[in-house]
Amino acid sequence: MPSIDPTTRDLWQVIAATDEVPVGLVETTILLDTPLALTRDTDGNPVVWRRTDEEQGDEIDPETVLDRLPVITGYGYVWTSLGNPPRELFPIPEYAEPDRKNMSCGSIGIHVSAPRAVENFLDMGHFPYVHTDILGAEPHTEVKEYDVEVSEERDEVLATRCRFIQPRAAKSATSAMEVEYVYRVPHPFCSVLYKSCPEDESRRDVIAIFLQPMTEERCRAHLLQSMIDSESTITDLRRFQQTIFGQDKPILENQYPKRLPLDPRAETPIRADKSAIAYRRWLSQKGITYGVIPMAS
Amino acid sequence: MSLSLSDPTWYPIASSEDLPFRHVYQGQLLGRELAVWRADDGNVNVWENRCLHRGVRLSIGINEGGELKCQYHGWRYANRSAGCTYIPAHPADAPARRIQNRTYPVREAYGLIWSSATDEQAFRPFPGAEGHDWFPLRPMPVNAAPEDVLAALVRLAPDDQPADLLPGLSVRFGGTYYFVQPVDAGRAVIRGLLREKPADELATLRHYNEILGKLRDRLERAAAKKPAPEPLQPAYDKVSADLATMPDIAVPRGNTITVVVKRKWVSADGVIGFELAARNGHLPTFQPGAHIDLHLPNGMTRQYSITNGPGELMSYIIGVKQESTSKGGSKVLVETVREGDLLSISEPRNNFPLRRDAIRTVLIAGGIGITPLLSMARFLDKSSLPYELHYFTRAGETTAFRSELEALHGKVIFHTGLPREQIAQTISDALGQWSMAQHVYVCGPGPMLETVRATAAAQGWPDESIHFEYFKNDKVIDNSSSFDVELARSAMTLHVPSGKSIMEVMREAGLTVPSSCEQGACGTCLTTVIEGEVDHQDVYLNDSEKRANSCMMTCVSRAKSARLVLDI
Amino acid sequence: MAITLYDFELSGNCYKLRLLMSILKLRYDIVPVDFYPGRQHKADWFLRLNPFGQLPVLQDGDLTLSDSGAILAYLARKYDETGLWFPDDPAITAEVLRWHAVADDITSTASAARLALGFFYDFDVEKAQKGAHRIFRLMDEHLWFGEKQGRDWLCSPAHPTTADIACFPYVMLSEEGGISRQDYPALRRWTDRVRRIPGFVVMSGIFPAGRALEDA
Repeated sequence: MPSIDPTTRDLWQVIAATDEVPVGLVETTILLDTPLALTRDTDGNPVVWRRTDEEQGDEIDPETVLDRLPVITGYGYVWTSLGNPPRELFPIPEYAEPDRKNMSCGSIGIHVSAPRAVENFLDMGHFPYVHTDILGAEPHTEVKEYDVEVSEERDEVLATRCRFIQPRAAKSATSAMEVEYVYRVPHPFCSVLYKSCPEDESRRDVIAIFLQPMTEERCRAHLLQSMIDSESTITDLRRFQQTIFGQDKPILENQYPKRLPLDPRAETPIRADKSAIAYRRWLSQKGITYGVIPMAS
Repeated sequence: MSLSLSDPTWYPIASSEDLPFRHVYQGQLLGRELAVWRADDGNVNVWENRCLHRGVRLSIGINEGGELKCQYHGWRYANRSAGCTYIPAHPADAPARRIQNRTYPVREAYGLIWSSATDEQAFRPFPGAEGHDWFPLRPMPVNAAPEDVLAALVRLAPDDQPADLLPGLSVRFGGTYYFVQPVDAGRAVIRGLLREKPADELATLRHYNEILGKLRDRLERAAAKKPAPEPLQPAYDKVSADLATMPDIAVPRGNTITVVVKRKWVSADGVIGFELAARNGHLPTFQPGAHIDLHLPNGMTRQYSITNGPGELMSYIIGVKQESTSKGGSKVLVETVREGDLLSISEPRNNFPLRRDAIRTVLIAGGIGITPLLSMARFLDKSSLPYELHYFTRAGETTAFRSELEALHGKVIFHTGLPREQIAQTISDALGQWSMAQHVYVCGPGPMLETVRATAAAQGWPDESIHFEYFKNDKVIDNSSSFDVELARSAMTLHVPSGKSIMEVMREAGLTVPSSCEQGACGTCLTTVIEGEVDHQDVYLNDSEKRANSCMMTCVSRAKSARLVLDI
Repeated sequence: MAITLYDFELSGNCYKLRLLMSILKLRYDIVPVDFYPGRQHKADWFLRLNPFGQLPVLQDGDLTLSDSGAILAYLARKYDETGLWFPDDPAITAEVLRWHAVADDITSTASAARLALGFFYDFDVEKAQKGAHRIFRLMDEHLWFGEKQGRDWLCSPAHPTTADIACFPYVMLSEEGGISRQDYPALRRWTDRVRRIPGFVVMSGIFPAGRALEDA
């Protein structure tokens, strides 16, 4: 079993969408190469423990589970930890706004490391090639200069002023328009995107990806949307998000090596990759070794 | 026998038939995945199956005929050199020339595509290869160790025809040859060849397919009983240090290569075409709009634009206008250089890169200015991107490269012998009003460039959409400033007064400073700057090179700061 | 008359119909069904449309149809004026249906592996993968010999049929189930040809092919 670096071990890691965890039945999953089991009690509170011989779908009385792992729920998901997690999860204040449509769009397995999936989420240059005619289209391929900072106090990577020309930036758009994004990486395996909301220009739609590192080369992508949209149904919104992620999946699964290389000489960055470069350095500084190929010492 | 990652043997990795038009074949040899594709000119490329950017497989990319396009971000890699020619995220910049994917040696012979993990050995035909019309069988992939596959093939030999083991995991008996391609420790492909074409091809193919299919089934049943061997783990080469740190400017030009004048012809009155061919292998990657420095036999250096289309790297085709005036560089080239002569040229550099993200591209050429625009038109043509090329020539001249232009599919319009007033109107009509993502590229005489600039501006074209290439520096040099230069290596500080160039001052101090045009156009006097802010007055460096402030042309450029430190 | 497709974007079976309808230039409405995570295909309202609880379902006027292979045949017979996509000839009909059956085998192997790895369905992944490889080997052989006889498609006519549409999606998505197509070069060439059919559209997970000889 690969070793888990202390930083990774002490983080909260997402393992399920709360609503999908059955009450009184066992759900099994894998986190950091460790088999886990989870269920919810009759109040809907999740219980998580290291799996022994339980099978998926077994009946279980949560009271009988004595040796439990830490658990927290946030943003519609169940999070656990194999170490000593912080008191709280990273903040996404918009989620609590009363008029938001909050939904999980599914949890999809991908055969690649969690950090590779985060990096792909931060990238705009692929919009015209992977999300053709949705998030981008030739000939509008330019990634304009944007700003990146690594905030020590908030312990996050932040990319702002990210602009891209999109064919149909909003349902109401009739021609290509420039859209502005903000990307946040508040956790080594999570990223949050803020996009100007078509219904209310002063507010932002929030799309997030929370990666559950199952093994060093496999993860489960939990997709969250927190939207201001009075017209679309949850089904419509889920369909859009799943379409986008379904397009990223074969690209991610065709990347080699599967673990993210942190050595700057492993791959060829361009100016459009500023956020990726900052992210890789941030992971190095945190001493993360799980799911990455660390820099040669 | 265990497999080695550095085995220098040539193995067959595909059939010729596996590379139809615009296909990318996914292969593997000794644990390394390969992207194999045939360009429109017939050349077969065998590359590491990984884009250099973020490691995505090139085998899911698109074969565009002269370039391979990666599916992730659309990076283009040229046929033959595997050099990156276009990065869509930064459409205005020419990518650093040395972004080049790992290539493997390739040879197409006997109906098969052969390659090797290293460059160590030259390709040699297998014993008995010459003089036959080889007939390839259907390849048979087998999930078993290559040495076990070979042993099983040996046992196929009939009693009266002993099996003859050949070097490189192959065996023959009679007129049947089997080559085992070692894909990985536990995987192989049997590639069979028959020495003569059989009378009933289909029946023969089916017959061998059935035999090899049964062999495969036996081998796989046996392999399933043993633990699977560990797959080979090839290492990926590190990217060069300068590419790992996001350079703003292209790698400085400096390398010269020797080419042979393969062909010299009269293209039109006053324009001579030269085909400069590589002596071994192919020439370096270039992007449309690029030029080379050509070192003339008399010691002068002149710049010439490359007219080639994508992936055409066996020779560079340039056009030289015979000029009776000027310093006589082109005269020397036209009058004294002959077919078969060797010439020294620089690697290509590009001050005039083509964006491939325009909704509409207008190309305007005046006279010999057609040369870089012909290359641009060819690249756009190959990718089926729209453009209009307007080619202005004087009356009484036939147009240079006419047949090459007529071979294009895009809109090419010849304007011959138009009077001045009409040229301006024609340009105005050709440009029209600007709207988003339209670009115009102009190359020609100074007055024409000015006309285009003025007309375009008047019709709403912003600066970023108007692209010029200067063959000469027609700008008026302002040499009124005065400042000091410290020459770091020569350990001296010189004062440059107004009215004198840095180059003149250095020469007066006894230094040897190479030069050619001495007007800031050719790049010969390029000097590294260690400190100080440069006042660039040349037309040689591009905008990001000028901003980087790390080099300058000492013949015309000066200083904004009080002092410059130069690496001389 | 109005065609309505009950559809899930990531379903290869639904995509078969979106693909054929695009090729035939048919207009239709989509009713998105939240297959995952909503499991709407097991909801009462959906079971009334298709008691088998499976997507896709297609409604054309008063007609309600299920099973992607059957719907492909219906659309071709009803709307394809050329008669090429599902020809009348009894021998060719048998060929097409034979490959529709193979398409169902591809679904139960390659698609099962994809559902197991991507959506955590409780299937025996290794068994599904082995099954898919067995089918792909047979397809590669069939297509390779077809190329030798001047045939570019699964069935004997010189044009594609619904057989090609039926088999294509889960072949193309096989890597999501951990099934590589590296050993099947003829199959890979066939997927290029399918992607060049005029009117071809993608689904998430499938990319378009480069231009073909005639277009270049």
